[in-house]
Amino acid sequence: MTTLQTSPPSSAWSRWRGAILAYVLVAPPLLLMVLLIFIPALQSIVRTLTIDVEGQSGFSFSRYVAFFNDPISVSNLVFTFQIVFLTLIIIFIVCFPLAIYLRFAQGRIAAAVQILVLFPLFVPGIILCYALIRFLGTRGTLDTVLSIFGVTEYRTPYLKPDAIIIGLVWESIPFTVLVLTAGLRQISDSLIESARDVGAGDWTIFRRIILPLITRPVLIAFSLNFLGIFGSYTVPYLLGPAAPQMMGVFMQQTFGQYRRPDDAETQAVITFLICSLVGLLYVRTVASQRIQQEDE
Amino acid sequence: MRNLRIVSICLLLLIVVGVSVAQEQRKEIYVYTDSDTNISDWWTNVIIPGFEAAHPEYDVVLTIVRGVGGGNADLAGRALAALETGDDPQVDYFETIGVDSVKEWVDAGLFLEITEENVPNIANVVEATNRLPQEIPYRGSQVLLAYDSEFVAEDEVPTTYAELIEWINAHPGEFVYNRPDRGGSGAAMVTRAIFEVTGQDPSLFVPGEFEAELVDQFPKAWELLGSIHESIYEEGSYPAGNTPVLELFANGSVHMITAWSDQALQAMNNGLLPETTKLTQLQDLPFTGGYAYSAIPSNAGNVEGALALANYVLSPEVQEAVVESIGGFPAISWEGLPAELQTQFSDVITETVPTWPGGDYGAAMVEGWYNNVATNIDPASD
Repeated sequence: MTTLQTSPPSSAWSRWRGAILAYVLVAPPLLLMVLLIFIPALQSIVRTLTIDVEGQSGFSFSRYVAFFNDPISVSNLVFTFQIVFLTLIIIFIVCFPLAIYLRFAQGRIAAAVQILVLFPLFVPGIILCYALIRFLGTRGTLDTVLSIFGVTEYRTPYLKPDAIIIGLVWESIPFTVLVLTAGLRQISDSLIESARDVGAGDWTIFRRIILPLITRPVLIAFSLNFLGIFGSYTVPYLLGPAAPQMMGVFMQQTFGQYRRPDDAETQAVITFLICSLVGLLYVRTVASQRIQQEDE
Repeated sequence: MRNLRIVSICLLLLIVVGVSVAQEQRKEIYVYTDSDTNISDWWTNVIIPGFEAAHPEYDVVLTIVRGVGGGNADLAGRALAALETGDDPQVDYFETIGVDSVKEWVDAGLFLEITEENVPNIANVVEATNRLPQEIPYRGSQVLLAYDSEFVAEDEVPTTYAELIEWINAHPGEFVYNRPDRGGSGAAMVTRAIFEVTGQDPSLFVPGEFEAELVDQFPKAWELLGSIHESIYEEGSYPAGNTPVLELFANGSVHMITAWSDQALQAMNNGLLPETTKLTQLQDLPFTGGYAYSAIPSNAGNVEGALALANYVLSPEVQEAVVESIGGFPAISWEGLPAELQTQFSDVITETVPTWPGGDYGAAMVEGWYNNVATNIDPASD
């Protein structure tokens, strides 16, 4: 890319060379993507849409009809959406104040909070799950502490949907805060100070300046978290109920335990299509940022 | 120049002959295992030192191939190739292997038949191990009930599956088993329900076969397990593994569980379970279990040593260690063990060890359980 920009436009050859070099550089990842993701995904989609009728293959939606007619598949899909949206809402409720605090606060406490916020990045999912089982479970740490204070009606979220949400929120905090803080840092202090000079209050500054300027980081955090949560496996499998299941667990189950690879493929394609819609949102958000930056 | 070449070739031949002669007389016994750490540790720390003390003429070389390719099966493949070429397979003893899991092994007579002539102690092995002539069953494990005697009165302890179901419903939230695909202890609870509704005859389920008529009766098992769904821990919460179930029992969240004998005994020995923990087995038809079978390749370079080792692992000394060190079940009759050990485990001793065939039956079992018991969606509402 650099060659492309710095080479003098006078020589057509060197421009060509730059372009070729750029393509050669992006070729390996592109090739990997095409070979390992796009082609298999396309094959899967085609396979789920074909049926074998007396040796002849024909087009059919029958696999999808079967999926959406099966109350268990549908309840798992609905359950996945519920978990994803609830988790996302809680992530933003938790992470917004944290990000704003980390953007504007300085000093030792802020540094400590910063480290705490990043801490989940270094904890593997499976360790987190067992820690949460010990912490949230019946007669776990939380239960014991509460009973010291006389609270005895504690009902554990372990093996219930709530535990999945707790685990996923905990896992998503560092990434979300990082993205939001990065977005907030792009808002210059002078902008806020000048608004304050003309008499804007904190709320007005947040609503009229900060919020519009961080829509993009919010969209990025939303879409990447959505993708991660929708396809999550370890947390829902270890902390969640046996039924309903999130799609990741359901797919593995159908493939490995029920030995029905065809149905697992249909579930995978449905998941893939949902996630690619959100992926598109992400790509558009990032692309519009690029275009805007180039215009500037 | 030419002379030199001839001399060097002769020397090389001599070395080769020398090495193979040395192998004929070698004293090493090459043992291979792909079992879990608790088993390989036990071999390293208990069995091998004990055997070498009893047989100073041998030197046991243990190689752990756990997680390496196909494990012991790969080495059996190597032994088969060596059998065809007449070479030393460099394997004398498989700690566990399914001798009939590959057709070629059986056809070629890869494994040595074990009789009272070559391994005298094989005579003490119990019927329940159901061994093939080439198999040396030497340790077992079975699912059983673990309960906390502080909360479960002695006269309340279920002795049949029907009583267990009754007990669970009478004590909501005090019993738990794991999802059947996430650990054998939960699977045993489910397969036992299937045995219950198909006439308590596990022999109906033949591995590798699939009788649709039997599977048609599974819904009765779902009904039975569905009847206790609400009474399971936290109104029907099923953990995802043997260990989480043991943990719920250990911290007192529940007072009765299904558990693997070896995992429960080991946890008890390590003081992880309540001191009042007791184990019991159903008397009408026990939960499923199984044995680990060793085998010796017929072309082993040190057959004599391997046979001596086989005889040693079946000695009362090692069989006692099976119970005490790894919490397993002995392969010989409990009567051959110290009286003290017998009384300690009198409640769990059983002569029958039913097995579940898995395969297509397993898939039908797991899917049926998830779709009918765990979801608790009324099938009529489909």
